[in-house]
Amino acid sequence: MKKMIFLLLGLGVLFCWSPGMAESDEITVGAVTPLTGKLAVYGEGFQQAMLLALDQVNARGGIHGKPMKIAFEDNNSTSKGSVSAIQKLITIHKFPVIFGPAASSNFLAVCPIAQQNRVILIGAESAASAITRCGSYVFRVFPSDRLQGKGVAELALDLGYKEVVLTYVNNDWGVGLADVFKEVFLKNGGRLLDEFAHDEGKTDYRSEVLRIKKNDPEAVVNLTYIKEGATVLKQAYENGVDVQWLMGSASKSPKLVALAGGAAEGVIGTYPTFSQQTPQYRAFKAAWDRKYPGKKLPIFGEYNYDMVKLTARALKAAESMSPEDIRTALMEVSKGYRGVTGDKTFDANGDVGAAYGRWTVKQGGITDYP
Amino acid sequence: MDYLLHILIVALIYAVFAMSLNLELGYAGLYNFGHVAFFGIGAYTSALLSLAGLPVPLGMACAMVAAGMAGALLCVPALRLTGDFFGIATLVFAEMVRLFFLNERWLTKGPMGLPGIPRPSWVGTGIAAMPMFLVLCLLLTVSVFLLVRWVAVSPFGRALKVVREDEYVAQALGKNVFSLKTRAVVAGSVLAGLAGSLWAHYITYISPGDFTLNETILVLLCVVLGGKGTNWGPVLGAFAVVFFQEALRFLPIPADLGRLIAPLQGMVYGLALILIMLQRPEGVISEYRRSRVC
Amino acid sequence: MAYYAQLVLNGVIAGSIYALFAVGLTLVYGVFRFINFAHGELIAWGAYLVLLFALPPISLPLYLALIPAIAGTVLIGVAQDRFVYRHLLQGHRITLLIASIGVSYFLRNTLRLIWGSDLMTYGIRPVRGIQFAGLSITPTQLLMAGTAVLFLVILFVLLTRTLLGKSLRAVADNMELAAVMGVPMQRVRVTVWVLAALFAGVGGFLLALDTNLEPAMGMTNMIKSFAAVLLGGAGNVWGALLGGLFIGMAENIGVAFFSPGYKDFISFALIFLLLILRPQGIFGVLTGMR
Repeated sequence: MKKMIFLLLGLGVLFCWSPGMAESDEITVGAVTPLTGKLAVYGEGFQQAMLLALDQVNARGGIHGKPMKIAFEDNNSTSKGSVSAIQKLITIHKFPVIFGPAASSNFLAVCPIAQQNRVILIGAESAASAITRCGSYVFRVFPSDRLQGKGVAELALDLGYKEVVLTYVNNDWGVGLADVFKEVFLKNGGRLLDEFAHDEGKTDYRSEVLRIKKNDPEAVVNLTYIKEGATVLKQAYENGVDVQWLMGSASKSPKLVALAGGAAEGVIGTYPTFSQQTPQYRAFKAAWDRKYPGKKLPIFGEYNYDMVKLTARALKAAESMSPEDIRTALMEVSKGYRGVTGDKTFDANGDVGAAYGRWTVKQGGITDYP
Repeated sequence: MDYLLHILIVALIYAVFAMSLNLELGYAGLYNFGHVAFFGIGAYTSALLSLAGLPVPLGMACAMVAAGMAGALLCVPALRLTGDFFGIATLVFAEMVRLFFLNERWLTKGPMGLPGIPRPSWVGTGIAAMPMFLVLCLLLTVSVFLLVRWVAVSPFGRALKVVREDEYVAQALGKNVFSLKTRAVVAGSVLAGLAGSLWAHYITYISPGDFTLNETILVLLCVVLGGKGTNWGPVLGAFAVVFFQEALRFLPIPADLGRLIAPLQGMVYGLALILIMLQRPEGVISEYRRSRVC
Repeated sequence: MAYYAQLVLNGVIAGSIYALFAVGLTLVYGVFRFINFAHGELIAWGAYLVLLFALPPISLPLYLALIPAIAGTVLIGVAQDRFVYRHLLQGHRITLLIASIGVSYFLRNTLRLIWGSDLMTYGIRPVRGIQFAGLSITPTQLLMAGTAVLFLVILFVLLTRTLLGKSLRAVADNMELAAVMGVPMQRVRVTVWVLAALFAGVGGFLLALDTNLEPAMGMTNMIKSFAAVLLGGAGNVWGALLGGLFIGMAENIGVAFFSPGYKDFISFALIFLLLILRPQGIFGVLTGMR
């Protein structure tokens, strides 16, 4: 019992020693970022890209002379952790703007909280189409799945595949994407020979592969992640399944080729893209290399960078620091704003548009599909 | 300090969850390693009904009924098993329930989860709702606590403890062991369902990923840390575990080491379970010592 | 038709691996009378230790890396007993079970700490399966089935032809009586853990060779091989083999009728049904090792 009391006391002390509150002579926004857990590998890159943008904002005088700051809060890469983190940011610090967590399920978990509390939530890497309906305080600079689902359907039709097998990873991202794909594909005369979800993170997809083999399709639309994609490709190859694989953006990675070896050869996919020839992109790349010499550009770093830059503009333009005013300003300044990742004009739902490119695996490397 | 309210609410919900497990594990000696299933059933029932427009209290009542019914359903076959086998049957049951949540998209929206679960209207919305929600949780926790304490000293509770210590003795005393155990599991499930529905309405978002074996281990830790078979044990355990989890948030951790925190936390939980079992299997509060004092 | 035949074939191969895991579980159950929840972690550690020795800086070829890796797995198995279970065998049963859940959670998270949660592979290039009569089987799968058979035969010889094996069976039948009769208890208990860890480690390696490595690979396989143990009757080694094959086939063939998302559900449901209908197993009786 005594030990227990000491333990509780110790924890209490830890609590009281919380980081200092935001002072009024600086403008702080919150960020729920995966710094621990399974997404932590990406979280660090998000954070660095945001800090790069922040440096530039402050080098140019911050927000009306006050420096801008970001208070990062970890979410353990889970939806539960995200809710805990955003509660802390909203209730203790009362920040008007919060950058939302990566992974659509985590983002969806926090968006009703932001909406109810009338706090602006901005996402830089959440694609689920359901986020569109989150509410008037929720924005994202990353294009919705709706656009990509359409892109994959058009890819299949362009290549002349009218009958395909559709499989997708059984989570918010995969299901959302598959629904849009189906809608567009079927409307334009396509036909599904079979359709099934596969679970995330399994090591054996032979039963799924056999189901594909049974239908003997010419092409398979496989909307999945890197490791699931690689395992399916590898086991299909071993089983003698020779089809044209059509995939989405989430499996576009050298790791796919590293895991699947020669089995990944010839895969074609789509991905949201932006021109790397724009002055904005070149400036971003140069700034990145100056601040983090020798470091590779992180995945979705450009989106995180744009998110911070755009937010800073809105904070400058807003009449006051109330979320309502910032929201109006955000809609206003985004009109025609060209960031690193292209046009960031928010529509009425807080979504942005995107251009889609096509990728393929050729001789063990990922290149653009002609 | 609203954040403290948040932690208190979470701790209270876990306390209810832990007390419900304690009823089975501590009092009846049933190795339920799938208790999270009833928490999940409660959460989903309540969330789905209130999203469909039913008043929240009604949804919560239905959640308790649904969880209780699931508990009864599990009992009929599973209670014929003893010890380890009951343990594995419940563990498997919980995984089956989770797979059901994950795959039946027409009902549960599958992996997308259910966002925007309403809170009781009189509690309000947003931050304003926090104090009232705490009051609600506190009221329910106290009621559950009193209920469990009353059960523990009732003839039913004492009979349960006899079953736990020696089933044959209980039988020889003319007790219907099967009926006693069934009632314990159903009561435990109903309370777990209550905890689950509180969780759903508080967090406002649930997905199948929230109801995995990890949750079972966490609540198991709450119970054995505090002391199984005691009234205060699970409550104390729940507060300690939740406070420990949230305290990690305040530790200054370099970004490149962030990846290591979750596994380290898991190792601490695992090690805690082992050490408690080796050194002090009765938990911080010992059932026998307490009863001698009282 | 070829489709179903292929499903059966895949089921047999998956089943032979489940059987390797199930043998260890059932041996421990037969002698110590408890379900070791941490058995799955021996599977995962076997696979990951091979990775440790096969990757830089050690960079052994896979077949050589297997030797220290299996030794390491056996060490973990024996350590589980030495530091945790041995001290709890006399106490309350629930203490033992909770401790084994703790051991499992601890070991799994240690894996995560060292190697991360991401999928890993041994980096073997995928090869086309051997095709015959419309069926396809990879060399790795052949190796899996072959090793499983070999190991089970060795175990059979060990249990029936050697003195150690006979003592082991005697202990499984009745621990007190065996001790009175002068069976070397210490040797038997170490043997059981060595065998359990050896089978789990080798099985884990084969499984990872065929598919990939991930920290949670142990848990799911533990539960499935538990289904095999139940089918065969707890404590029954041959039953575990048949049970493993049955589970492997059931879940693979089941996929033809249900959504693949329910693949694990099939073996879980089977466990449940078995527990209800025939807790003593289909092929054997609850006690003893036939």
